[in-house]
Amino acid sequence: MSVNSLLAFLDNPGIILTLGAFLTVLAPVALRRPIMLGVVAFSAFRLWGMEIGDSLAFDLFGLEIMPIKYDVLSRLFLVVFHIAAGLNVIYSWMVKDRSECFAALAYPAAAMGGVLAGDWITLFIWWELAALTSVFLVWAPQTRESYLSGLRYMSIQIASGVILLGGIVLVFREQDSLAIGTLSLRDDGGNFNIAALMLFIALGIKSAFPMLHNWVQDAYPKASIGGTIILSVFTTKLAVYMFARVFVGTPELIWIGAIMTIFPIFFALIENDLRKVLTYSINNQVGFMIVGIGFGTAASVNGAVGYAFGNIIFESLLFMSVGAAMYRTGTSKATELGGLYRTMPITLFFCLIGALSISAFPGFAGFVTKGLILDGAAEAHNLIIWLILLFASAGVLEHAGIKIPYFTFFAHDSGKRPKEAPVPMLIAMGIAAFLSVAIGLYPQPLFALLPHQAHIVDYNPFTAYHFVEQLQLLLFAVLAFALLIKFKLYPPEVPSTNLDVDWFYRIPGRAALFAVIGFVVAVWRVVWGGLQKLVSSIVERTYRTHGPEGALARSWPVGFMALWTAVVLGTALIVLFLSQ
Amino acid sequence: MADHDAKPENTEAESKKADSQGWADHPVFVRGFLWMLYISCALAAGAGFIWQKKKPHFELEAFPVFFAIYGFVMFALIVLLGQHLRKLVGRSEDYYRERE
Repeated sequence: MSVNSLLAFLDNPGIILTLGAFLTVLAPVALRRPIMLGVVAFSAFRLWGMEIGDSLAFDLFGLEIMPIKYDVLSRLFLVVFHIAAGLNVIYSWMVKDRSECFAALAYPAAAMGGVLAGDWITLFIWWELAALTSVFLVWAPQTRESYLSGLRYMSIQIASGVILLGGIVLVFREQDSLAIGTLSLRDDGGNFNIAALMLFIALGIKSAFPMLHNWVQDAYPKASIGGTIILSVFTTKLAVYMFARVFVGTPELIWIGAIMTIFPIFFALIENDLRKVLTYSINNQVGFMIVGIGFGTAASVNGAVGYAFGNIIFESLLFMSVGAAMYRTGTSKATELGGLYRTMPITLFFCLIGALSISAFPGFAGFVTKGLILDGAAEAHNLIIWLILLFASAGVLEHAGIKIPYFTFFAHDSGKRPKEAPVPMLIAMGIAAFLSVAIGLYPQPLFALLPHQAHIVDYNPFTAYHFVEQLQLLLFAVLAFALLIKFKLYPPEVPSTNLDVDWFYRIPGRAALFAVIGFVVAVWRVVWGGLQKLVSSIVERTYRTHGPEGALARSWPVGFMALWTAVVLGTALIVLFLSQ
Repeated sequence: MADHDAKPENTEAESKKADSQGWADHPVFVRGFLWMLYISCALAAGAGFIWQKKKPHFELEAFPVFFAIYGFVMFALIVLLGQHLRKLVGRSEDYYRERE
């Protein structure tokens, strides 16, 4: 590899941030965060210099490996990933913990490396690195709960990687190429293509498909305050990006995404831990993106990836505001919060901007891109999906738009009077809030990043009709909330654990695992015990025969030997005589 | 940020509820907010009769207050039906801690 090739290989946000992560670990405590910010800024600067169509490929054992393939789709995700990484560095400025600082760069690095990957092997490497680096964020609180959760999280992430690898092998066998391209989930006969199906499932685990979703709720709320925010951004959105790259227009995604938008709403409603509420919101929001990718039209794909861009910012903002409340009060439970608006008004203000954005109120980030996804369903004349997405929009308003700010800052007075959030947190939230409003009011810079430019030039989100339909939907939903509160029909928050899919592997699954282990131990004991007895008995018999007291150890007179020699020779003589 | 790094504040204040009433709890604010909401809803509903989609994809879209009714009913349904899920899946806070 020449020097120029090596420099080109290193000029990759994934590599730059990974090297930066190691540099951070070696740096003095006081310099860690400034170095992290500098590394993210440098990576963003290098990204700025990249041109659409840039790529880097080399030959490895006769296979073409492409660590860099830069196009309009990867650009959009790389831009927003840099914004998210930078915001998280600022938000957690007070945290100097070595492993957490390392993961705060290495994990986004892995996601960015995956976004730039032009071949499946490169993607697989970054995919697994994302799993391995992110688990440090789950383990950061150093509690038994977070430790066990981290193990479960890693098992599921690695399982996704193993399935991905299986799919890659099968795809390579079919196509004789490792290049990442669009795949069809079904063959011409309508049967599932196993290779594509394996990749689909691997991506489905990472994007938290229904029934495969619960690792998000299990792990993310147990991470550190800053860790939860970082985690909320990268893994699921990397999977969304890969779906947009590989399975765009796959009809199965429409229904899967639609289900993803619905079921978290009900779990979020009854959840007491507000960080967990937001993890259900991740499922719901990713569902919108998956539906858009499933429709596969220029408008809906623009909507899906544009919504991912905005969502990363305003969902982070909501996580940050709940995190700030948690930082000051030590809890994120709705039953223990409330009334914080008195002493944390700036955090409240930023939280409300996040809530308005995620609810897609006109003038905020969600409004300008969610319409494209809904238009995708309407253009396909799919009434049921369209109604489901509208229903889910009301659900988003309920759990993310109202529940988060209401139970954190209003509701019952918890009596807590914490100080306002620390300055670095306020700066990060302020930037995220500014971006949420800026995108909502002036979306052209975001639109310029969307992959289907020919379509977006005709799109105007600020039509009177779009305003009216969205305001009707949201204002009347708020009215329903106000009336439910007024008539005491809104369910009170209750400290509880709500069972979800993880129950299957945490309780019966765990019991089954222990039963299997017990059975294997019992079988091993029987087999090993039997073997030991058999060997002992052989040794004992051999000893009895050959030992000092054994029959073969006895001394015999010479005459006895001579007699036996005569017998043997005589027998041989007789045999020879008879044989002739 | 490690949870152990969090700095819970106001432990003294937490023991007794603050006696001062915040602006959001003031009846004037609550009434004002509700009235503003009612008026906004009325305006949004009225606007539905003025601005309508020229080429609706579904007949429902042509109904001037469809989104208002749908938003209200769906939100109420989510809350009124969804809360019963707790009876099915709700357990004590220590449920997993006791079993793992």
